[in-house]
Amino acid sequence: MRALHHKLIRDLLGNTGTLLSVVAIIAIGTGMFIGFGSSQRILEAGQADYYRDYRFADFWVDVKKAPLSVVEQIAELPEIAALDARVVFDVILDIPGNARPLSGRLISTPGNLDRTLNGVCLIRGSGFSDNRDEEVILSEAFAKEHRLEVGDRIKLILNRKRESFVIVGTAISPEYVYMVRGPGDLIPDPGHFGVLYVKDRYARDVLDFKDACNQVTGRLVPDANVHVDTLLDRIDRMLSPYGVLELTPRHRQASHRFLSDEIRGLRVSATIMPAIFLGVAALVLNILMIRLTQRQRTTIGTLKALGYSDRSVMAHYLLFGVVVGIAGAIVGTGLGISFTYAMITVYKGFFQFPRFFYRTYTDLVLIGLVISIVFAVAGTVHGVWKVLRLHPAEAMRQKPPERGGAIFLERFPWFWRSLGFRTQMALRNVFRNRVRTATTIIASALAISIIFMAIVLYDSFFYLVEYQFDVVAHSDVDIGMRNEKSKLALFESRALPAVDYAEPVLGITCDLRHGPYRRRIGISGLSERHRLTTPRRADGEEIRIPASGLVMSRKLAELFDAEVGDSLELTPVRGRRETKWVKLASIVDTFIGMDCYADQRYLSSVVGESLAVNSIQLTVNPAEQSSLYRTIKELPNAQGLNVRADAKRNIEKTLIETSVFSIGLMVIFAGVIAFGSTLNNALIEIGDRVRELSTLRVLGYRPGQIAGILFRQTMFTYLVAVAIAFPLGYGMVEAVTVAYDSELYRMPTIVRPTIVVYTAVLSLLFVMIAQWIVYRQIKKLDWLEGIKVKE
Amino acid sequence: MPDTIPNEVPLLRMEQASRIFRMGEVEVPALVDADLSIGVGEFLTILGPSGSGKSTLLNLIGGTDRPTSGRVWHKKNELSNLGDDALTEYRRLAVGFVFQFYNLVPTLTAYENVQVATELVDHPLNPLEALKMVGLADRADHFPAQLSGGEQQRVAIARALAKRPALLLADEPTGALDLPTARNVLGILQRLNREQQLTIILITHNPAIAEIADRIVRLVSGRIAEARANKNPIAADEITW
Repeated sequence: MRALHHKLIRDLLGNTGTLLSVVAIIAIGTGMFIGFGSSQRILEAGQADYYRDYRFADFWVDVKKAPLSVVEQIAELPEIAALDARVVFDVILDIPGNARPLSGRLISTPGNLDRTLNGVCLIRGSGFSDNRDEEVILSEAFAKEHRLEVGDRIKLILNRKRESFVIVGTAISPEYVYMVRGPGDLIPDPGHFGVLYVKDRYARDVLDFKDACNQVTGRLVPDANVHVDTLLDRIDRMLSPYGVLELTPRHRQASHRFLSDEIRGLRVSATIMPAIFLGVAALVLNILMIRLTQRQRTTIGTLKALGYSDRSVMAHYLLFGVVVGIAGAIVGTGLGISFTYAMITVYKGFFQFPRFFYRTYTDLVLIGLVISIVFAVAGTVHGVWKVLRLHPAEAMRQKPPERGGAIFLERFPWFWRSLGFRTQMALRNVFRNRVRTATTIIASALAISIIFMAIVLYDSFFYLVEYQFDVVAHSDVDIGMRNEKSKLALFESRALPAVDYAEPVLGITCDLRHGPYRRRIGISGLSERHRLTTPRRADGEEIRIPASGLVMSRKLAELFDAEVGDSLELTPVRGRRETKWVKLASIVDTFIGMDCYADQRYLSSVVGESLAVNSIQLTVNPAEQSSLYRTIKELPNAQGLNVRADAKRNIEKTLIETSVFSIGLMVIFAGVIAFGSTLNNALIEIGDRVRELSTLRVLGYRPGQIAGILFRQTMFTYLVAVAIAFPLGYGMVEAVTVAYDSELYRMPTIVRPTIVVYTAVLSLLFVMIAQWIVYRQIKKLDWLEGIKVKE
Repeated sequence: MPDTIPNEVPLLRMEQASRIFRMGEVEVPALVDADLSIGVGEFLTILGPSGSGKSTLLNLIGGTDRPTSGRVWHKKNELSNLGDDALTEYRRLAVGFVFQFYNLVPTLTAYENVQVATELVDHPLNPLEALKMVGLADRADHFPAQLSGGEQQRVAIARALAKRPALLLADEPTGALDLPTARNVLGILQRLNREQQLTIILITHNPAIAEIADRIVRLVSGRIAEARANKNPIAADEITW
């Protein structure tokens, strides 16, 4: 081995403390790159395979009831490769052992599961048989949650009749990779919602859909020269006599959207997070190398005098970066692999794929290796270059002593003199080593802002849940009705057991148009004295629904580019279907979905009915809730059921289970930056000032008192970093909020004062761990040797 | 400057060489209009108080610095004209350096410190052999911190010799040593000069040491004040101060 390699190894070993912290930061950066990158690819590949193998559709059209003859005409459109006509109904389920009635979505499926679009992928059981009509294939997650086995029976009400079904299989489907009912749901709730596949012919018979369907779903030919929206417009026109309720292109399908947003998020994370961590590592390595090369000025000069070329001296020092980069990449690869494994395990709880397995992508590992080396070498180059430019003779001379002049604070003598000499020393050091101080501040500020962002985002979810489930909604139980009923339904529901108060809601689907923007949306008609739904603005002000006009969520208003006072054209998709002008009366803030409200009476008149109702909101006496549940199970008209407390509990439980892991990891990772950069700065400081610190020991200062000087320096950089970190972190939160702003949900940017305190305390904790190591170092300092050091 | 030139082309030659350092606004002339030529096999001492330009002169000869004006030759090569790469090549093949503070790499053993030099050239001495020449073969595995000052300087000499240079430049090699150790180190240099015809240029501020050379050049304030042949160089162990 070459002699300089011996030097390299010994230099590396001599700087283990500082180098390890850089290696840790690089490892986290590379680990995140591999972890996020691999997870993204695994999800992406899983999605692509699944969609292809199980024929995921390109669009869905929900209609009130369309004859199959018209569907056949649509199927003949040249752009359409395949088209399925289905019957899809939301139903109430009665599962043995569950007092609470559950929600289900019934989907009619032809006997041959291999041919349908949105294919059913059997997990257990053998699928439909010829033995009987009342067979059901249940979604796997739902079955698992309720410990339902193939052969068990479940009961549901179909077309006013209670039917009992035999479970012949459990399955998953590309339509429900993320098993939510639709855009209003945030998180799958397999405990309370399941999908049920029943035989097509049977469903049509029972539900009075002979030669008709209520959903058309199709795929485009691979090279279709038409945008899916254009095609949907055409289909809309063909089906409009039958009441088109919803047009859903794939990019707006809830499950697809959630999955794709997650993949997109991972792609962004796989770029930004490693960049931050590796960037910080490069900065820290830079000050480390400046220090190392300055200490080795004489050696560099000697090597050059001996006849080593600039290139070979440079190469020798760059090897530091290469070794640090490789070490970081190796640890990072291990970290990335376990990180991917953990993420995929979490994702398995959210996304249902037929094959969902962990993979290591060699190219990602190699790219990870290359970028860690590149960042590490980039951090090394600058420091080495500074010394290398010198003539050997110049390099061998000791560096002229650093400026010992006064710092600007000393211009205020009354203030300066009031500081103790150790504070004065600390401040002088802070201001004299500007590059190092700046690097430490930048690194710490980034770390603190990441911690801040992580906690704010975590808290935002809870704020969001609180807002949607407690501030805006107040009903205990919502029941969806099959067909619009008159006000009679309200009186009926008031008579249900346990009900304290009931409020009717009318939901209708309309085409809304404002200038060039057109969109089919659902509008909720609230009663005049609505108190179970209280839309609000972000500032907390409750908005009453006016007697005429619309109240829209901000996101929806943005999509229409509409402001309060603007008039929009509204056309119901059924009933009289007359276009009317309506005013946008108010804008409210919602975080899930895109709500639109109007007065119920007003909305009924728009559709052309006196007063229509299709869902009922109830407040319930908890003591008698079970008798209400028993009654709902028998309600012939009930279609959907929402229990606010259950939904809220599910979201919170899931959030806590998954976020604690990811937020905790993020805090620890960011903490490594805060810890590493602080420790580095202090260790370099100790190395630079061995003689000074030793002299203080000789004079009789205790290690704690000496560590106090460094502690003051650390606190100064920490406080400046904190001051930068909060605005920086708030900017990050805003950026994430913008990135995640979608039609499905949005993140509130609420910073509760306690979070600022949590962040400060948490980050200080990491800084204090570094400080503790500094104290130990000072205690260990061989001060008798130290005073002899030539500087 | 009338001077005897042993060979037709001297090993080293300086013509009106000056080196001026710029410290911000101030110009500090470290060496002014130096003329000097040195023959093969010569033992030359450059004598002068600190700040007189001795090291600057040595740096120009050793190719670790360039003159601000004037010219410097090694044989027929004009050093003052060479690029960085060629100058590195010159230092690598032609020159051995010995410094006042030894400049050993603290994290390398004596053997490895010599190896740092031997790895640069095609036909070096074996590092152990070089250490043997300075009497340190048995300390090959010691780190600089485990060696005395004199021993460290002998390692530095071994490192300089190991490349088999024709020219050895020593900048106050005994400046940090006590008298007996200094005698020992200088004795080694004298022996190398006599036995191997190695050209040695030695810098010292100590007139007693200067007397061991064949010729003494005295610098005052950056100018060559005197250059005289030393008819009767004294032996290293006769030095006293």
